[in-house]
Amino acid sequence: MNPRRRARLIIWIRRVVQIACLLSFFALLVATRDPGHGQTPTGLLQVFFAIDPLVYLTTWLAAQSAAELSLLALITVGVTFLLGRVFCGWICPFGTLHNAVASLRGKLRRVLPRTEQFSRWQRAKYYLLYALVVMALLGVHWIGVFDPLSLLYRSTTTALLPGLQWAVEDGATTVYFVDPHLGSWHLTSITEPVYQFLRVHLFGPERPIFQGSGVILLILLVALALNLYRARFWCRYVCPLGALLGLCAVRPLLRLSGTAAECNDCGLCSMRCPAAAQPETRERWLPRECFGCWNCVAACNNSGLDFRFVWPWRRTPTGQVDLRKRAALTAVVGGVGGALLMRITPPAQGRTFNPLLIRPPGARAERQFLQRCIQCGMCMKTCPTGGLQPTWDEAGLEGVWTPMLVPRIGWCEYECNLCGQVCPTGAINPLPLATKKPLKIGLAVIDTTRCLPYAYDRECIVCEEHCPIPTKAIYFVQREVTGRDGGRRLLKQPEVDPELCNGCGICENKCPFADLPAIRVTSAGEDRHSDNQPILPGPPADAQWSDYVTPSAADSAAAPTASPYGD
Amino acid sequence: MAKQNRRDFLKQTALATSTMILAPGAVWCPSPVRAGPARPGTRTGTAGSSAVEIAIARLQEGVTTDLQAIAVKLTEAAMESLGGMGRFVSKGDVVWLKPNIGWNSRPELAANTNPDVVATLVRLCFEAGAKQVKVGDNACNTARQTYRTSGIAAAAEKVGADLVFLDERRFKDVALQGEQLTTWPLYPEILDADLLINVPVVKHHGLSRVSLGMKNYMGIIGGERSRWHQALPACLCDITAYLQPRLTVLDAVRVLTAHGPRGGNPADVQQRNVVAAGTDVVALDAFGAELLGHEPAKIATVRAGFEAGLGQLDYRSLAPVELAVS
Repeated sequence: MNPRRRARLIIWIRRVVQIACLLSFFALLVATRDPGHGQTPTGLLQVFFAIDPLVYLTTWLAAQSAAELSLLALITVGVTFLLGRVFCGWICPFGTLHNAVASLRGKLRRVLPRTEQFSRWQRAKYYLLYALVVMALLGVHWIGVFDPLSLLYRSTTTALLPGLQWAVEDGATTVYFVDPHLGSWHLTSITEPVYQFLRVHLFGPERPIFQGSGVILLILLVALALNLYRARFWCRYVCPLGALLGLCAVRPLLRLSGTAAECNDCGLCSMRCPAAAQPETRERWLPRECFGCWNCVAACNNSGLDFRFVWPWRRTPTGQVDLRKRAALTAVVGGVGGALLMRITPPAQGRTFNPLLIRPPGARAERQFLQRCIQCGMCMKTCPTGGLQPTWDEAGLEGVWTPMLVPRIGWCEYECNLCGQVCPTGAINPLPLATKKPLKIGLAVIDTTRCLPYAYDRECIVCEEHCPIPTKAIYFVQREVTGRDGGRRLLKQPEVDPELCNGCGICENKCPFADLPAIRVTSAGEDRHSDNQPILPGPPADAQWSDYVTPSAADSAAAPTASPYGD
Repeated sequence: MAKQNRRDFLKQTALATSTMILAPGAVWCPSPVRAGPARPGTRTGTAGSSAVEIAIARLQEGVTTDLQAIAVKLTEAAMESLGGMGRFVSKGDVVWLKPNIGWNSRPELAANTNPDVVATLVRLCFEAGAKQVKVGDNACNTARQTYRTSGIAAAAEKVGADLVFLDERRFKDVALQGEQLTTWPLYPEILDADLLINVPVVKHHGLSRVSLGMKNYMGIIGGERSRWHQALPACLCDITAYLQPRLTVLDAVRVLTAHGPRGGNPADVQQRNVVAAGTDVVALDAFGAELLGHEPAKIATVRAGFEAGLGQLDYRSLAPVELAVS
């Protein structure tokens, strides 16, 4: 078979593989939710993160724990040593999306294809990688911001999927209420089954909505739109995973070389190269940049290019990406600087605790948590109440887009431990339900200046009703209050038992005050930090040390009958 | 690709945008919408004055310990002496079964209605000729997990019911014209059903001390329903008066006696082996309050229901049929 025809066949196979990987990525993302029987198929859902060597390299460096190493990630590294950056060209779902957008470029803008020259700026991704690895060595794990799989997962979870859900459900609901029909035929006979099916199988009955998803979406859209400037801009210039794999692709088994056929310098191969790996130069082809997509071989009208099998130990003339020492050193210094910048803050030094930063149950102590979290958003995707939200500045720059519970949006469901089950890096420990239920992630506090039975003399105790602790962490005390007319009545006033409250936040979520709930959960008392504990463990052994005495019957009888404030 | 100039694009964008903005306004008009004639409970009664109004089925001591069989038998017996499901369901009806599926809690903790009671009622509805039986509640915890953990999802689907997850956007303001509430968002799909069967579980409640039939109607309302706690008896009377209940089935196979309505502690659950069915929700609530050891007249919600003319406080005055099921 001549090289060109073979290349065309390989390209078709590649497209099938790419689409299959992209669809699997989204299918696994959609499947990351309450599975119907409590236990998620751990391992399978996280497979895209498991094959990502960047995630595991930096998690390993940052957390200094070999347990985070994944054999699957080593396989990716091995494959890259043998075949070059085929992960970028064949597997990576983000790369496939870039491919798709880049192929739209010619159609949308009707620009003439241009020869893709290697740009020195393509080295930027290597320097970014150096900086991120140095940061990881210093314990600042910021890889999730740039890792392509994290980025795509996070964007899809927090923005694309909720956006799609809103469009579908609001659209169907509009049709449902307008009910357009022709005679006896109703449009809802089409829209309702679609709505029901998608709601049950794709979205779920709850409607997740994520704070700050606009920024996350914008970053995704900019990354994709840059394809209109240069095909696969992200993969060429930015992607640190691509850089890591590029470093592995030294002498792949298949190397591009010219055939006996003559090259007439038409430049078609270079036009079709999404990596600007300069195939047209033949001997100066850049294996570190090449995605192994075979476009160049298929493009050559003369069948003048082909990938040839070469044993790894044999050197052949190839081009080199010149990673100059001075620039590399600058990147390293930048990494150190970045790490320092993120660490010189009071919360990062454990001097202050953000009361709003309620981490998911099982989350490690903040430092260890940040050293593992890759900001992928799997926990947010699986949280059934949608309460796990991406941070913006609550955890500092270092912790951007890490998960925090926002009880006003959703609470931590008592009978649920899904976030720990799906976390791909162990930032959230997988806990058995029996361990997770009493685990404290915060503590509820009642704001008696708002709480209805305290501040407005009205019955309520909705918080007590919803409290999931079997013996009720929120209880009520009947107290006598005097109304505006001087009349006295008993009201049930809620109180929080700090021994029992696990900070789940359903009280805050259900409080009738929607703007600033009258019962709020803060991170105080979270089990993961011994420094953030206002409550002495155990009930006070000697209640008599203060003037706390049980009122006698005589005291109750002598209760005031008139308002102390006069009329 | 078809040529599209800027003007066309702007026109289309403006059209699409205005449709998106205006359509919801036209649809979700803030003015209250009176539910149509298909409102449950408004159909003229099929029962004469001699019909049984309340049937209480109790298990005889030591007959069986199979909980599922107990629930099924008690439900069947209570419904049968009430005149059978055919008294309430006509051929081709769409029935909405409203159990308490409020809490992500297992059946043995008695925070939700017994799944076998629900499944039996679904089966009886189909046997009476119902076209479709929908089961749904506005759960307090996450709906999917709650439906499943309660055991109701599996039990109801097995006998052919459709589980409905309520969509918060589909609640519609309805004129209640009650003592406390003038309008409140209710669920059109429930109001459109030919029959609404209320299937509460008997349990403790911190605020109202009991959660029974009238309280169970809080599961079909939308909006900021937590506000109802500020005037619970009046709000429950308003919704009950609006819905005009035709059939209530009170599940007391297991009852939650403390730390309700969510519970969670097995020690708070008692197995009472009782199912009561009837047309008078207030009388059934009075019976349920008694089961929990209260004097019905001292329970504010029950007394308010009686004073609002929604039913009898003294359920014995309705000559309840007491059945000993073996």
